[in-house]
Amino acid sequence: MDTPDSGGMTPLGRKTAETGINFTSTTRFSRGLTFIRTHTLFGQSPTRRIIPQTSLLQENVDPQKIAFLLRKQWTLYSVTPMYKFSYGNLKEYSRLLSAFVAAEKQKGLAVEVGNDLGIKVTLSTLLGLKGTDQDQVAVLVQIASRSQLPFENAENKVVWSGWFCCISGDDLLESVPEDFTCLSLFLANGAESYTAIVGSWFQKTFDCYFSRLTISPLNLAWMAAMWTGCKVDSHMAATELVFSVPCIPQSLDISYAIHSEDAKALWDTVQKTPGEVTQEEVNLFMDCLYSHFHRHFKIHLSATRLVKVSTSIASAHCDGNIKILHSKHLIGVLTLLTELAISQIQ
Amino acid sequence: MDETVAEYIRRTVLKIPRCQIMEMLTMWEFLSKTQLQTINVHQLKERISQAVVELCEVITSIVNDQIVSNSHNFVFTISGIFSCITGEETDSFNLADFKYKFKRSLRSALKNVTINFREYEDNAIWIRIAWGTQYTKPNQYKATYVVYHSQTPYVFISSLRSSIPLLCQALVHASNYHDIHEMELRSRCIDSLKDIVFKRYSQTFQTYHPRPLQERNVAPEKVDPRIIQENKREKERIQSVNQEIFGEGLQPKIEFAQYKLETMFKGEPEMDILTEKEPFRCVVKFSSPHLLEALKSLAPAGMADAPLSPLLTCIPQKARNYFKIKERKGILSASCLGP
Repeated sequence: MDTPDSGGMTPLGRKTAETGINFTSTTRFSRGLTFIRTHTLFGQSPTRRIIPQTSLLQENVDPQKIAFLLRKQWTLYSVTPMYKFSYGNLKEYSRLLSAFVAAEKQKGLAVEVGNDLGIKVTLSTLLGLKGTDQDQVAVLVQIASRSQLPFENAENKVVWSGWFCCISGDDLLESVPEDFTCLSLFLANGAESYTAIVGSWFQKTFDCYFSRLTISPLNLAWMAAMWTGCKVDSHMAATELVFSVPCIPQSLDISYAIHSEDAKALWDTVQKTPGEVTQEEVNLFMDCLYSHFHRHFKIHLSATRLVKVSTSIASAHCDGNIKILHSKHLIGVLTLLTELAISQIQ
Repeated sequence: MDETVAEYIRRTVLKIPRCQIMEMLTMWEFLSKTQLQTINVHQLKERISQAVVELCEVITSIVNDQIVSNSHNFVFTISGIFSCITGEETDSFNLADFKYKFKRSLRSALKNVTINFREYEDNAIWIRIAWGTQYTKPNQYKATYVVYHSQTPYVFISSLRSSIPLLCQALVHASNYHDIHEMELRSRCIDSLKDIVFKRYSQTFQTYHPRPLQERNVAPEKVDPRIIQENKREKERIQSVNQEIFGEGLQPKIEFAQYKLETMFKGEPEMDILTEKEPFRCVVKFSSPHLLEALKSLAPAGMADAPLSPLLTCIPQKARNYFKIKERKGILSASCLGP
């Protein structure tokens, strides 16, 4: 991988690098392009992040569609850039994907000509889910199934949903050639079998690659710190951290829930620079919580594994599951997840 | 026969695995031997259950009294233990008297209840109560089970519900005690609860010789001299401290412990944090298939200090796993206040 040169420090301490296109690359991108990571070296987590702007949803937003995204458990995937994906052909893609899903679902069953499983796939755009203007428009895929029972009205019930987005991803993905669309984050809700079918169609059609996005304990700690610090107007839920203890014969789970006001008070004393969060601040926040716990129970939480974080804003699990609770902070959460997805691809 | 009861019998029989049906029906003891012989266990389960129901139709009132839980059949979910404060105990426990008083007390408050009793060998009386309201029949599927050991002042109750005050009143009245209050101890395994309150687990005692006495004439182990055990003394210390605290034997099996902390936040001295005078409120929950064994293995695994905090080790002795910890005069202490 090319090393970034040390010229031109941006205010956030990120280094810009020279772009280059390497046609003999051995990365998994079959078109032979490398994407230069602009600010991190060799898989390290950034030392500082900007607190994302909230409520950046633009005017032509469909509030119902946005509300649909909230309070649902989504499974996270990272997606490599898609080749020759066109927003103008969404109807065509819907048709092709419907046929593909129906065919896959009928595999192994006796073939009946004209048997309509009643599966319909729709691709649509989700306007307003953008961090910057260069971001690609988010795409929503829904699988609806018509009820098989004759007396029920033939209303389509959504059985599976998935959406692609990329929030503020452009500064991390430079030198993307024309034909590629970067929608690096994919979120799925519904049966795993449908996710596999839809994923394989996209992979075949647009030559991209889906992989499960897991969240490391380090990033979960970042989320705990950043989301605790967010101001929520309505009722604030407790900040809950769930730890799993490895290496002992009986499994042990420890749930450590801190009252929201007290957690925020602690974070406010830790965080010094407005608008920015540093690694040291996150470490200090977590160390404070660990030492308070240790005082009472004599157990070193730092030796255990953080597996889940729940706050008033959102909750995240290390297996790559997320649930976002407030539309106001949707963009902020997605920005962080996009960054994780992109760093996984690279 | 009451149709809800018939339906309940039918569903219960359907739930039993085919190989155990005959065994269960025999144990229930409300069908005679000849009747049992008429049931063909090899037909469809629905037919079996239907046949059982039909046989039961003939016996009406007996069935109502005899549908009792079988302790092996039902998952004993979270059970609260209530401990009775001793009042005026009568010397001899009269079972019939207890049953009569209990039924009368409960029925006087609530017409629609189904009450069934069953006695077991270890002096345990199992009471099954199905609750209804003024207008509805008792719900047989969400019954409360009460286990009372007549020789002890303890009662174990499953699935705590809103009708608990009525139940407590009936228990106090029937058992001739003064009062009853809830203990902060819950678990899925009733035997463990019994172990804890009846002190049947291995208890620990203070030792005056913290280091075990050196044995003489011990044959040296054939250990490869190239292997060096790091921190050998520290590991031995941890082991002996652990044993002292937890005891030798198997720990009683509980699944979780919950601590509500309202102490002041105090970080390390170099952390200049939170000089507020407000308590730092948090709730800590430990959960594990076998919590005490897991806690016992933390210190040897290096994840906790030895000795482990008394907040955790006092669970069996104090017979509670729900705690509220408050700051006491500025010094942290495990003061377990009541609910």
